Amino acid sequence: MAVGDHTIERARGAWMPHAGRLAQAAMQVWHRGRPVLLSFLLVAATTLLLLGIDRVFGIAHVSIAYVLPVLVAATMLGLVPALVAAVAAVAVSAFFFYPPIYDFRVASPQQLIDLTMFVIVAVTTGQLAAAARANAVRAKEREAEIRALYNFSRRLAVATEPAEISAAVQDHLSAMTGRRVVYFAADQPASPSDRRQSGPSIPNAIRDAVDRLASARTADGLTVADAETGTRWLVRSVSPRNPEYGLLAIDMGDASDGEPSAMHARIDALLADATASFERLGVAHAISEARLRAEAETLREALMGSVTHGLRTPLSSIIGSASILVETPAVAADERSANLVGIVRDEAERLDHDIQRLVDATRISSAGVRPHLAWADPADIVNAALARQRRGLAAHTVELRLSEDMPLVHVDPVLIEQALAQILDNAAKYSPPGSVIRIDGARRAEQTAIAVRDEGAGLTAEEAARMFERFYRGPRSSMTTTGSGLGLWIAHAFVSACAGRLEAASPGPDRGTTVTMLLPAPSIAKLSASGETYE
Amino acid sequence: MNRQSPIALVVDDEVQIRRFLRAGFELEEFVVHDAATGAEGLRIATLKVVDMIIIDLGLPDMDGAELVQRVRSWSTVPIIVLSVRSSEEEKVRLLELGADDYVVKPFGMAELLARARAAMRRHTRGTIGEPVVKAGPLAIDLARRVVSLDGSEVQLSPKEYRLLQVLAQHAGNVVTHQHLLKEVWGLTHVNDGHYLRILVRKIRSKIERDPTQPRLLTTELGVGYRLAQ
Repeated sequence: MAVGDHTIERARGAWMPHAGRLAQAAMQVWHRGRPVLLSFLLVAATTLLLLGIDRVFGIAHVSIAYVLPVLVAATMLGLVPALVAAVAAVAVSAFFFYPPIYDFRVASPQQLIDLTMFVIVAVTTGQLAAAARANAVRAKEREAEIRALYNFSRRLAVATEPAEISAAVQDHLSAMTGRRVVYFAADQPASPSDRRQSGPSIPNAIRDAVDRLASARTADGLTVADAETGTRWLVRSVSPRNPEYGLLAIDMGDASDGEPSAMHARIDALLADATASFERLGVAHAISEARLRAEAETLREALMGSVTHGLRTPLSSIIGSASILVETPAVAADERSANLVGIVRDEAERLDHDIQRLVDATRISSAGVRPHLAWADPADIVNAALARQRRGLAAHTVELRLSEDMPLVHVDPVLIEQALAQILDNAAKYSPPGSVIRIDGARRAEQTAIAVRDEGAGLTAEEAARMFERFYRGPRSSMTTTGSGLGLWIAHAFVSACAGRLEAASPGPDRGTTVTMLLPAPSIAKLSASGETYE
Repeated sequence: MNRQSPIALVVDDEVQIRRFLRAGFELEEFVVHDAATGAEGLRIATLKVVDMIIIDLGLPDMDGAELVQRVRSWSTVPIIVLSVRSSEEEKVRLLELGADDYVVKPFGMAELLARARAAMRRHTRGTIGEPVVKAGPLAIDLARRVVSLDGSEVQLSPKEYRLLQVLAQHAGNVVTHQHLLKEVWGLTHVNDGHYLRILVRKIRSKIERDPTQPRLLTTELGVGYRLAQ
């Protein structure tokens, strides 16, 4: 928007020097005089109408009709045109309608009172109407301002990096000043947040001025004329008191435009306003927050990289070596050694699962889960999860009932398998050894439902409501079993990412839990009935 | 070449992993060469006779995929890739570049040996032309195009047979969804994954004791299928 204004400004500037000051003055007179002229026209039109009516019917009280143009002038054009209209109306009615006709004098004292009354009424109503209009205009401006501020604050709230905040500040200031504004963040003046704008690039002279001002740390602004394009730029800090708000370059248009000081004063006032709202919205805080977040993200990625490599590589060696040791004749022959090697292997695998869980949790909260959707047979997913949890489920009796007409599901099978393995892990952990864990798979409308039912600790109402929250651990179990409170949260995130749903139900504490996974099984599965489509 | 022991080449930058792989293979009477970098691995693979190559994907000097590709440009030697979890696309890409199979770290030696042996069998079968592939009670006679279960013939549709045939040619090793779709339905159906899932269900109902818990035709989630050995 600001860019558009800028081009219009320049087009006008091209012929202005030739026409000179006279044309400019004429323009101003036209600009100021237009409302007055319009109010004269309103009165004239009313007069013509009244003359026509008077010719046919004859009118006794003409003055009442002139309230109309005065009111219109007051509401549409302002107070001065309204007063002009009132005076004109008195003059015209004295001239045309009150005897002696075609004479400004008025003969009857009655009619003189009539006209005086009219002037009082017209001026009062005109004033009231003008005030109402001014109020309406102010309210509209205020509303636009508030909306702009609201949009601005929303952009600040969701910004995750300083560049987004810079862009928001720049757009906000452009809208407020009605000119092209380029914003330079305090810590990186050389690279303005101008990438988004498609307007003409910033002249080098302006960049130099910005750099100069940034290093000088002075409060005063500079006016820089760009020799190439002939435009004048105002370079200044957003707020002299808060250097962290950065610098601005404002396109002031053509160098020959008049009245720079008035525009400067207006920009001063606007920026004072803007600074106040920046302070209120905590822009400085938002900027440092966003920077911190970006740094934390980089740190987290680096950390995850070294965790996955630095911790898991030795675990691979431990697990691999243990798997070989178990097979060696010396260990296989000695039950005690075989048991110990088994412990090494099992614990290393458990550690690996815990690391995987941390990696998953980090992935979910930093980058979000991006599922690779594909058609999958739910039975395959269940079998893979059971295979993964084979050791953890060894002490339980697993009952598997998969209906053969389960529709194919359209999910990320690897994510769903991990989620299901987590649910099985929980079922085994919170139910006594020897008890039954039952897995049912069946069609449910346009979905496939996989339910895991255990005979264990069950759920209280609070646990049922909160069990998928991150870090939530039931108060009953946090004393007796170890855990991170991440597993079910991860399962929930993975299932949700595939447009599925997780539900938990329990008849009550110590009466078992059923966790049901509902997975989308769109109607493509009808193909299995027809058969011909793929054969 | 006349020799007794198979020769394995291990390419991994982690010394501990090289050590335990060496121990594991030597326990199974393999001769082991190892290399810490892709370049060294490539050099050994060209200069010495090897029956199998184990490649870790996280090599410092060369992308694992590049190493697979370069070996495949002149050799059909079995290649097993050591991969990390949650990178199914990476596994599929490597299999399509010519790797025979993969194991996910951390892995047990038995799993790696099973994959390696299957790949080596596929390799020798190609050279001596062994026509019958067996998977438990299942026998697939590639010469006579007959499939039998516990000795009695199984009636299969042409597509069902074609799928089993492709899996049998790689018996014991994973075959990607894309490869199967291309081999059974042709290039135009590479993205119709549901065809494959439905066909596999049908085959399982004919050859598996419990089709919902398959033992012969197993699934590698997100990657492909495997015919057990």
